Amino acid sequence: MEALVQAAPGSHETHAAPKRSWLFTRPTAKTGIVSWLTTVDHKRIGLLYAISALFFFLVGGFEALLIRVQLAVPNNTFITHQTYNEMFTMHATTMIFLAVMPLSAAFFNYIMPLQIGARDVAFPRLNGFAFWVFIAGAIILNIGWFVKSGAPDAGWFGYAPLTSKAYSNQFGGDMSTDLWVMGLQILGVSSVVGSLNFIVTIINLRAPGMTMMRLPVFTWMTLVTAFLIILSFPAITIALVELMMDRSFDSNFFEAANGGLPILWQHLFWIFGHPEVYILILPAMGIISEIFPTFSRKPLFGYPIIVFSGACIGFLGFGVWSHHMFTTGMGSVATAAFSLMTMAIAVPTGVKIFNWIGTLWGGHLKMRTPMMFALGFIWMFMFGGFSGIMHSAAPADAQQQDSYFVVAHFHYVLIGGSVFALLAGIHYWFPLVFGRKVSEFWGKLSFWIIFVGFNVTFFPMHFLGLNGMPRRTAVYDGNMGWNDANLVSTIGAFILAIGVGVYFFVMIYTYFKGEKSGRDPWDGRTLEWALPTPPPEHNFDVIPTIHARDAFWYEKHHQREISREQAVHAKEEESHGGIHMPSQSWFPIVAASGLLIGSIFFVNHIYAGAIAGGALMVLGIYFWAAEGPGGYHVDPAGHDDGSHGKH
Amino acid sequence: MPLFFGGWLNWLSGPQSTFEVAGPVAKAQLNVFYVTLWVTGIIFVLVAGVLTYATLKYKARNTADEHAAPPPQGHGNPLIELGLIAVSVLALVFIAVPTLKAIWYDYEVPAAEKETALEVNAIGYQWWFKFEYPAEQIAGAGTLVTGNELVIPAGRAVRLNLRSVDVIHSFWVPKLAGKVDMIPNRGNHMWLKADEPGYFWGQCAEYCGEDHAVMRFRVIALSEPDYAAWLVHQKAPGRVVPADAPSSAPAAAYDYKNPGRNAPGYSSAFDADPLGAWVKLQSPEAGEVPASIAHGRQLFQQKNCIGCHTVRGQEGVGVSGPDLTHIGSRTTIAGGVLENSKENLHRWLTDPNGVKPGNKMWTTGYNDSASGKEIFRINDDEARALVAYLHSLK
Repeated sequence: MEALVQAAPGSHETHAAPKRSWLFTRPTAKTGIVSWLTTVDHKRIGLLYAISALFFFLVGGFEALLIRVQLAVPNNTFITHQTYNEMFTMHATTMIFLAVMPLSAAFFNYIMPLQIGARDVAFPRLNGFAFWVFIAGAIILNIGWFVKSGAPDAGWFGYAPLTSKAYSNQFGGDMSTDLWVMGLQILGVSSVVGSLNFIVTIINLRAPGMTMMRLPVFTWMTLVTAFLIILSFPAITIALVELMMDRSFDSNFFEAANGGLPILWQHLFWIFGHPEVYILILPAMGIISEIFPTFSRKPLFGYPIIVFSGACIGFLGFGVWSHHMFTTGMGSVATAAFSLMTMAIAVPTGVKIFNWIGTLWGGHLKMRTPMMFALGFIWMFMFGGFSGIMHSAAPADAQQQDSYFVVAHFHYVLIGGSVFALLAGIHYWFPLVFGRKVSEFWGKLSFWIIFVGFNVTFFPMHFLGLNGMPRRTAVYDGNMGWNDANLVSTIGAFILAIGVGVYFFVMIYTYFKGEKSGRDPWDGRTLEWALPTPPPEHNFDVIPTIHARDAFWYEKHHQREISREQAVHAKEEESHGGIHMPSQSWFPIVAASGLLIGSIFFVNHIYAGAIAGGALMVLGIYFWAAEGPGGYHVDPAGHDDGSHGKH
Repeated sequence: MPLFFGGWLNWLSGPQSTFEVAGPVAKAQLNVFYVTLWVTGIIFVLVAGVLTYATLKYKARNTADEHAAPPPQGHGNPLIELGLIAVSVLALVFIAVPTLKAIWYDYEVPAAEKETALEVNAIGYQWWFKFEYPAEQIAGAGTLVTGNELVIPAGRAVRLNLRSVDVIHSFWVPKLAGKVDMIPNRGNHMWLKADEPGYFWGQCAEYCGEDHAVMRFRVIALSEPDYAAWLVHQKAPGRVVPADAPSSAPAAAYDYKNPGRNAPGYSSAFDADPLGAWVKLQSPEAGEVPASIAHGRQLFQQKNCIGCHTVRGQEGVGVSGPDLTHIGSRTTIAGGVLENSKENLHRWLTDPNGVKPGNKMWTTGYNDSASGKEIFRINDDEARALVAYLHSLK
């Protein structure tokens, strides 16, 4: 919106306005550390998200390997029960909040504005703020590893009353749960801020002609996910604030000993927690829905049904939370209702799979690495979906709940589903972002190692669960019939780790030495492929006009009409004085660091410090408002060959 | 290949297998599982078949293929899509009907069996289970209480009132019934029935803190006469062996060496016939040494075991730890983690933290819970006396 407001003719504000005080001097560095700390460019912020998320993906994976080593043999003493509990708590928290969500956010940031023909998100500085707040939350969550109290150990779901002072404060000074509570609240701020930005962007900044039913499916899923985030995070925020009150100020929301209701936590948590599952999977489905049409060289089969089923999943996702609570004694009617609702949500999910197969049908399938990961996604997601249907039958779930069967199920959905799709997305958009293409041999090799390793790790867990092995157990006895499956699973985990290692190595190699790919290497269908690689800061020299659903495919097949149209638009833009760009700013990171400092003091119960940190944040936000949106103009003529859309 | 699949079937067999069901509740749950398995299995074969066919048939064979004129740009077919939605809904109805039936069946003891059903309160503690038999009142001592091993009559429905005194636990005996949570300030219940006498493994299924992995229990189903005899025995006060009782030839002293943290506490001899092992434990063992037993009983007071444990009719008023009135007749100790052998009991008494790190006997008994400072330890000689005493409590 800033961009729109300031782009009005007659705006002469520039970054170098000499009369402003030093406080409001906008940073202008385009390279170096300052340029990254103060960036408001959605592409740079997307890259920052991606790099942080991939780092935490490796951290979470390392935690998973320690878990698998401990479980390789019965009665193992590799790590203690306490360490094991910290590992599974942090593995889940890290993978969900610090790896998969921000990696999705990376794609939202980088790709979505390009797909709708925008020059940035609606609130560029707010976008930077969301990222730095995410980093603050990540630091708070992980700080426990380096201090005496240890990392959070109450599970990623933090069931009350295990999180109350009575149980995680046994020998005094244990602030690990406080870190967890604070970290998640901060990450919630980041997610909600980011999501509001995406919603406003998609609704307001679409290029002319980009009607809602022409939006690329990835952008649609961004929109649905963003709504899920802003609607579901308040529930967990309420729960976390209540828990924080219990722990810091002796209130009794969940304190069972004082009449608190632990079950209340579960309802609040899962009203957030189940939509969260879809927050993790819908972006993945969006990515897959871009890859299949591109590599099948035909449009998505049943676009309206894919979009509506995505939205439908979003709605139904708020009505199934208690299927995580089938064993909490809800009574027959409630159990039955949530059982049926959960079955119902399988329908729109199944519809998506049918439509993806329909997209392949009759196409010319180009079996490139992104396509391999996307096909792997369908196969693995089917397994995860079917075991999900098994859970929806509450009586069967009574045996499966909190067993390794559930662990198998959600890893099929979250690795076989989300992570496969995200890895596919990295391969798919790598040429756009870096102008280099990953070697097909090495890409496919990494796919096959990951695919095999993943299945060897998680398929045996179905058997473990049905054979009665509960999850979150640091040791098991050797006479339970679980030894072989556990050993196989651990071997698989190392195969998977090798696959991920190859994947990352290949990416890094490609970044430096990969084959140059040029514009539109996949014969793409959506607008981002119209751009040169890497895309210039202002994205589009001329804001495109959209005539059809697969906008760029249409452009490529109607070149004369399009270039005539663009010439007219270019003239109009020139008369506005060129392309208006938002100025960089220090205040997003200043405000976020105030939040970080205040939170660390609060967790340590030093309230004066907490107030000081809060004051720094408020000050940062105040100056942010006071400095104004700023902005400057660029002239695309001197920047690029200006031949947008020509191919 | 057969070996391969045989191996997988072995993976579904064990003390906590949900396939080797031994009661109607677990059976109903297994049947629903089979329905879901069949329905999803058939859908899987169909969808996977189409997906494989489409992938192989429409795959570009060479670069020329890839650069050929694009295929027809079709946007979908509403009839096919609506048809598939209808078929999916129908498939789910197949699952929904038996699901609903089983939800109501599993929830409450069937009306016909309500009158004869046994009612037991199962209470979760960090990290053990207490069982109360409200129908069995002992004059002057209240309700019959036992710990970690729930004894029930086979062929009779058992209604369990599930409670927790601290955090959330979950009661799970896979062969008899799926789990139901034990939640503080909430009155949950479940029912189960063992068709035949048997010995069943169970385990806490909700993460409940440091020792969740080693919070285990057993359910022992007896024939009605055996169960009646067990009740009579359990209601009696703790067995007394006077210090001057005539002693037979003392049994050979056991060797003890701490096997280390997390070392297994089960034996294949026991696993071969657990119910038989249970029967043997019901009567006093040969070669008891009365003097040692008496010394152990003294230590039981001196080491303040009585603060948390009760030996009914003798000393001890504590209720925060398991009732030990008949500890010698139980097959397991330490919350179902160790088989109740002399060596294991010795290990549990001398190194509780190596068996169950962070357990309350260690953190609040042997040590001061606030400072973590040591209050007392039990040395090998003391442990031998305590083992003799506790194993005399048949």
